[in-house]
Amino acid sequence: MLLRLARIEWAIVVSTIALVAFGVLMLSTTADPGANGLQNQAVQKAILGAVGLGVAFAMAQIDYRALHGIAVPLFLAGVLALVMVLLVGDFDLGARRWFEVGAIVIQPSEFMKVAAVVAFAKYLADRRDSTRAFRTVMVSLGLMLIPAGLIFLQPDLGTALIFGAIWMAMVFVAGAQWWHLLMPVAIALAAFPFAWFFAQDYMRQRFVTFLDPGSDPLGAGYNVLQARISIGSGGWLGHGLGQGSQSQLEFLRVRDTDFIFAMLGEQLGLAGTIGLLAFFTLLIVQALVIGLRARDMFGRLLAIGIAAMIFTQSFVNIGMNVGLMPVTGITLPLVSLGKNSLLVTLLSVGILLSIHAHRGAAPFRQQSMHVVRGSLPAAGPRGGLGR
Amino acid sequence: MEAHPRPAARTGAGQPRISGTRRALLLGGAAIAGNTALAARLWQLQVVESDAYRVQAAQNRARTRPIQPLRGLIYDRNREPLVANAPVFSVWLRPAELPPEREGPVLANLAVLSGERSEDLQFKLNQARTAPDTPARLARAVPRESALTIEERRHDLPGITVRTGTRREYAHGDVFGHILGFTGPIPAEDVESYRRQGVRFDEDIGLAGVERSLQTQLRGRDGEQRLEADAFGRTLNELSFRPPQVGQHAVLTIALNEQKAIREILARHLALRDRGAGAVVVLRPDSGDVVAMVSLPDYDSNIFTRGASSESFALLVSDPRRPLINHAISGLYPPGSTYKVITASGALEAGVVLPQSKIHCDGRLILPSGWAFDDWLPQGHGLVDLERAIAESCNIYFYNVSGGNPYTRLQGLGNRRLAEFERSFGFGERTGIDLPGEASGLVPTSEWKNKNLQQPWVTGDTYHAAIGQGLVQVTPLQIASMYAAIGNGGRVMRPRLIDRMLDQHGNVAVRTAPQVRSVLPISDEHLRLLQSGLYRAVNEPAGTGPRARSSHTVVAGKTGTAEYSGLRDAEGRLPSHAWFAGYAPAEQPQYAFAVLVRDGGEGSFAAAPIARDIVDYLMTGDMPPLPQERPDFVSPDHRL
Repeated sequence: MLLRLARIEWAIVVSTIALVAFGVLMLSTTADPGANGLQNQAVQKAILGAVGLGVAFAMAQIDYRALHGIAVPLFLAGVLALVMVLLVGDFDLGARRWFEVGAIVIQPSEFMKVAAVVAFAKYLADRRDSTRAFRTVMVSLGLMLIPAGLIFLQPDLGTALIFGAIWMAMVFVAGAQWWHLLMPVAIALAAFPFAWFFAQDYMRQRFVTFLDPGSDPLGAGYNVLQARISIGSGGWLGHGLGQGSQSQLEFLRVRDTDFIFAMLGEQLGLAGTIGLLAFFTLLIVQALVIGLRARDMFGRLLAIGIAAMIFTQSFVNIGMNVGLMPVTGITLPLVSLGKNSLLVTLLSVGILLSIHAHRGAAPFRQQSMHVVRGSLPAAGPRGGLGR
Repeated sequence: MEAHPRPAARTGAGQPRISGTRRALLLGGAAIAGNTALAARLWQLQVVESDAYRVQAAQNRARTRPIQPLRGLIYDRNREPLVANAPVFSVWLRPAELPPEREGPVLANLAVLSGERSEDLQFKLNQARTAPDTPARLARAVPRESALTIEERRHDLPGITVRTGTRREYAHGDVFGHILGFTGPIPAEDVESYRRQGVRFDEDIGLAGVERSLQTQLRGRDGEQRLEADAFGRTLNELSFRPPQVGQHAVLTIALNEQKAIREILARHLALRDRGAGAVVVLRPDSGDVVAMVSLPDYDSNIFTRGASSESFALLVSDPRRPLINHAISGLYPPGSTYKVITASGALEAGVVLPQSKIHCDGRLILPSGWAFDDWLPQGHGLVDLERAIAESCNIYFYNVSGGNPYTRLQGLGNRRLAEFERSFGFGERTGIDLPGEASGLVPTSEWKNKNLQQPWVTGDTYHAAIGQGLVQVTPLQIASMYAAIGNGGRVMRPRLIDRMLDQHGNVAVRTAPQVRSVLPISDEHLRLLQSGLYRAVNEPAGTGPRARSSHTVVAGKTGTAEYSGLRDAEGRLPSHAWFAGYAPAEQPQYAFAVLVRDGGEGSFAAAPIARDIVDYLMTGDMPPLPQERPDFVSPDHRL
């Protein structure tokens, strides 16, 4: 057991705990004062965070390569859930994004992120000798477009774009040729005028607001402007926990989810925002390092995918808060309110821990007790699963 | 950290090939660069531009509420309140809290509830949008029930609040209409200039009368309450408070009972003579204090602040007698023979005639040019000296001393010098009473006639000016002020309407002192001659004003019958306004007055009895009996 704990990548754990703690702190300042104990959103998040972290530790003990075997059913289950949510999901704020099962809200798109990362990793690792082939890139693009398209239909453009970003990072590391990657980007740019024509009004509005938040300060630009005011007024050290008129008097809307970063900026100032950014950077860099040190391509791609997933979400969210990115409704992983996202991110952290723990461990099926660490060959002709 | 294994090192037969290290490092670099960019942006927001955002956050949080002071009251001379601030419910909107997409339904709801027209509401809302954080008034006075309903439905009406406010309630609005005036919304063209004085566009301001002339003093200065409020407009704490500076109260020189009685006297006489319009001004000769000022027909101030029904308002506006105009200060009339005193004083001072010089009047003066100028008495007055000329109102005498006589070679005063004397009595300029809309009148000169009528001045013009006809135009207040000056020994006083201003505790804040506008350039001796002429006009059998004789005191005064262009009567005479002006008691004047009956015919018949009743009332405090006589007031024997 001690040996196994020693294999835990502590930098990942520390940054994860720190980010969850930031979230708990922020939520505690906006929690309904009447909500006690388990009703308190901050308490709920702390408990879920602890449980999730426990699960991640447990996952670290299991060889991540088990995921290789269940990648396909996992992906199919995710797609099925996305289809279901479109058909029978709860309609809220003009979109179908989740189911309610009793008191639990299930948001399939969150779980789909991990399922997609696993599926891409499997597909690309299995074809690691032909990743330069146009066909491989196109098939993986097709794989990506299935969940992304379904999520786009909810509609949730932001999350759909996250899938694109994850895919691109993974295909890039897998070895796709530059022009294969640039082509979808070029197509997307070329398609922009048509997309604009067919886009939902809210999407156009958001884009316009991004370009000029002052254009309608009481309407669409309101949140962006208020977020910027909140962050800016925080100054060096902020107004203090639970202080700050912007978030406490609710000029800042959706402060628990999309704009939790702005609330942090107001209450804890530059010290808080740079601290949070540092932990995110640490987490992402460590994830990449784990990828670099993974013992096989599947592990490396998994880690790259997870790093890309965390980075794009945090970058887009913070960028939106500081007015560098359009409003997309992407939450801040680990920090924002939102149990599905928290759980999925912690599961991803668990996968990272597992890749790290098993970077030089015994093979999946222990063939030899005296293998040299870090040079274990994977069995099997194509995969890393030793079949 | 371990050294990164080179992919090449791992490539071997049957070994899994790990590739993409370089690219993974590239991604790591991109991520770090991205987050560094975010950090730079945070530095910009939280350090470089932080102060600006702090200000914005403070503005978000703070609601500034102007606290409007209660408008000062207006009292009569005996501290009887003439106006009160009555509670009223008004509907206000803070535009920032009303999302534009809900504007339509909210205004529609509000129009139904408040009874206001939705176009008016929309207009006010558009005005208010320019300052979204400052509450603006949408409806001035809604009934209590509506106010309660609006209050109950607040959640359907974002940004809307009901406030209790005040409106002016005039205790004797009918008696004091022209003096007090009224308050109301600012005319659109004045909104900007009032805004610069700190008056909001939707406030009520004084639009007429004392309410207008004392607007600044009565209004006081706004206080300010700064409140902390959340995003939903719920106020939480008071951040600061500056109390308003309450408006001052005004105390008039007019007593309610006297104003009321004198208005009643004028109204009775107008009714008796079947005349619709007239004006009275009574002054204290020594101080210039206004004792009473009536212009009939008048209006009740309350119809403006209660919200006049459109019919009654249309009636006021369309009435040809123009009841909204205070004719005592704004109406311009030829003064008729009341003006002869000026000609007399000028002729004496300039030495045109001696007091005892006699001029023969045979009822008509025909100039060599062929123009004939008549006396009112066809057979003439015979030989008249100055006093008799005043007492009997002999036109021929005043023609001679003003324009001269080509046959007797009498050199007249001439219009230039006559005009100087008119001005020294205060004509041709405003008296400076504390009321808006005062007219300055006209002292005609050859320059004026050349410029405005493109005609040369002729002797006939001087003749007409000498007897207050033709181009001369005066206000009843100017005439009263002139007779006050004759009565008080020669000082032309500024009419004093405001006695003092009181602060909120009732202490005197400002006392307005009597003010001498000018001193008549007339020797005491000559002044006594004028006074004597005015005494004889009322008290001698041949005088023109016997009907002004009072049984309680001695009246001195002058009649006036001022013709104006209009339809001639059966005997070919022009219509005329009836005047009587003078003072009483003759020895030690306490009151000076001017009475005008528009289109009243002869001054001696129509105006003199009114003056008598007013003097009787002022001397005794008792209302005189209803006037009974109904003589033929076109009787020829007392013309002019």
